[in-house]
Amino acid sequence: MTAIVIGASSGLGRALATELARRGRSLLLVASDERDLDALARDLGLRFGVDCGVLAIDLAGAPDPGARVLAALDPQASVDALLLVAGHSRADDDFGLGAGAIGQLIAINLHAPLAIAHALLPRLLEARGVLVGFGSIAAARGRARNVVYATAKRGLESFFESLRQRHRPRELRVQFHRLGFLRSNLTWGLRLPLPAAEPDAVARRVVDALDRGSFARYEPRHWALVAFVLRRLPWFLFRRMKD
Amino acid sequence: MSTVRGHALADCELRSFDRSAVARCPVQRPDRYRALEALPADMPRIARGSGVSYVGASFAEGSVVQDLRAFDRLLAFDDTRGLLTVEAGACIGDVVRFALSRGWLLPVVPGHARATIGGCIAADVHGKNPARDGTFRRHVVALEVFDPVHGWVAANAHDEVQRFAACFAGFGLPGVIAQATLRLVRAPAAYAVRRMPVANLVEAAEALRAHAGAPVLYGWHDGRARHFGRGVIRFGLESQDAVRARPLDDLPVAVPPWRFAAWNRAGIAVLDNWIHQRWCRPGSSTVDVASALFPLNGARAYYAGFGAAGFAEAQWLIAHARHADFVAALTDLVARLRPRISLIASKLFAGHSEGLSFDGDGIAYAIQCPDPRAAGQRGFLEALADLAIAHGGLPNLIKDSTLDAATVRRAWPDFEARRAALRAFDPAGLQQSELTRRIGL
Repeated sequence: MTAIVIGASSGLGRALATELARRGRSLLLVASDERDLDALARDLGLRFGVDCGVLAIDLAGAPDPGARVLAALDPQASVDALLLVAGHSRADDDFGLGAGAIGQLIAINLHAPLAIAHALLPRLLEARGVLVGFGSIAAARGRARNVVYATAKRGLESFFESLRQRHRPRELRVQFHRLGFLRSNLTWGLRLPLPAAEPDAVARRVVDALDRGSFARYEPRHWALVAFVLRRLPWFLFRRMKD
Repeated sequence: MSTVRGHALADCELRSFDRSAVARCPVQRPDRYRALEALPADMPRIARGSGVSYVGASFAEGSVVQDLRAFDRLLAFDDTRGLLTVEAGACIGDVVRFALSRGWLLPVVPGHARATIGGCIAADVHGKNPARDGTFRRHVVALEVFDPVHGWVAANAHDEVQRFAACFAGFGLPGVIAQATLRLVRAPAAYAVRRMPVANLVEAAEALRAHAGAPVLYGWHDGRARHFGRGVIRFGLESQDAVRARPLDDLPVAVPPWRFAAWNRAGIAVLDNWIHQRWCRPGSSTVDVASALFPLNGARAYYAGFGAAGFAEAQWLIAHARHADFVAALTDLVARLRPRISLIASKLFAGHSEGLSFDGDGIAYAIQCPDPRAAGQRGFLEALADLAIAHGGLPNLIKDSTLDAATVRRAWPDFEARRAALRAFDPAGLQQSELTRRIGL
């Protein structure tokens, strides 16, 4: 059984790859830089004795990332988990981006996950596997920050809703984690209004849940309350929110 | 700051382990190789591992701190030759535990298990018996170094030989050490550790010399005037007796200080008497390897007890020929100034100092003093430096936060030549830490 982690080289993706390897899973690690992937694959192989394949791919530029992932897989391998954790955000994503930067954010956060999920769907169905996506608290309500990023994440959530509507859990488990703040390089140096969770702890809970049917939920779970309040905040107050 | 997250800098307050140096610094936490390379080539910077150096070797105000803790992966292991390649942010404790699980051992490790491989190289640390195993440089066969100007450099005994040598006790000047290949040795099952009480430092020196071949060899001594030098020499021999042990957790990167300083005269008396009763009796025990290598894991309360004022460790290496005179003069000095010394540790050395390495042929004393900024303590540490230099002593730059540029130059008459050899790899002076600035490196 092989698990594929898209965006495996850092942050939550690296934590997920490590947690899966700790539990003895064979892995295909996908990210943009071969050096990071190679180092991680060798580390997991040495520490946990698992097989790790790697695929370096630029999700922002690859026209068909799904085909690239499929080509990197052993045709005989049973793929029972696909974790689409790759994501990218920018501090200047506040209506100041040009077309190129917008395309890059949409490609990494929406197009690539959709394309890879479509390409891997037959293999996942064959293995009665699990497809895991990751959204963001930023998509709970549209604001003047993380504009394109939140748009893409909301689109991704819609895609996972469609998957859940289409497939029963016994055919394919479809899991969507809406992430709150994580302590990673994405949030390093940012002044956050609420504490950030440790990627290792989140990864443990995500991997623990892989066998638990289909769902969409917040991770860590208390972010559900934050999102609830955010959505119901009166407009005149919501407009004044800075962070 | 870059608008692309991941290359971001955070404003952080960083502090040396002895709490002597503190600074607010821009900190980058690269988690990918391209982020490590992303700083502008002309930006002052310094690499940082776990930040457990006693002195401010991994930060300085205005210098971008590159926190390398994400680069902690094991990259290759040759089980037949005992060669382990790791990223430089790997903690020495993790590396040792991995090696032990495969029947191998890294012979030279510092006391703090969270020190990183890069830090051990940059400081050329010594282990439990430098007379037998040398310093860290003896167990490294290759390095990958990132030079902000020249990019990636592979350095070993055949290529980039001078840079390879300069990385050891180079304090970060020859570039960011990113990867290292370590040469391991076969591990024993345990150490049979014997305790030999000594009445003074002269006896201690004799005991150390008599057991120069032991893989574990060091002494603990009372620093009070009345009992000066009284203590114990611990020497461990390899044992094949299996020990069922549950090693302690690694000492944290930062030990929160107690609200009060425990190591006043009364506290030191209690501590020294307890050590005397508990440890300074003849005897032996079989100790698992990890516990023998990381004795500081049991010293959390000791470090917390220094309180917010912290401590200073003056470590001086005295040649055998001058040792007896030095000990007599030091005993007089302690009797005269009556400093507060919480502990003295002794070790035997049998090498020679390359670059700015703490190595030589003699006996080293690490003298730990609480509250080093208090007038009496400061006076003692200054007098100790004068005394050690007068006896040809060599200071340990990575331990002693009280050393200044003038003192270091008195201790190393050819310091400027050694400094120039290091700075040749960083002519623009980009690599800057509190340590390099304080001693004028």
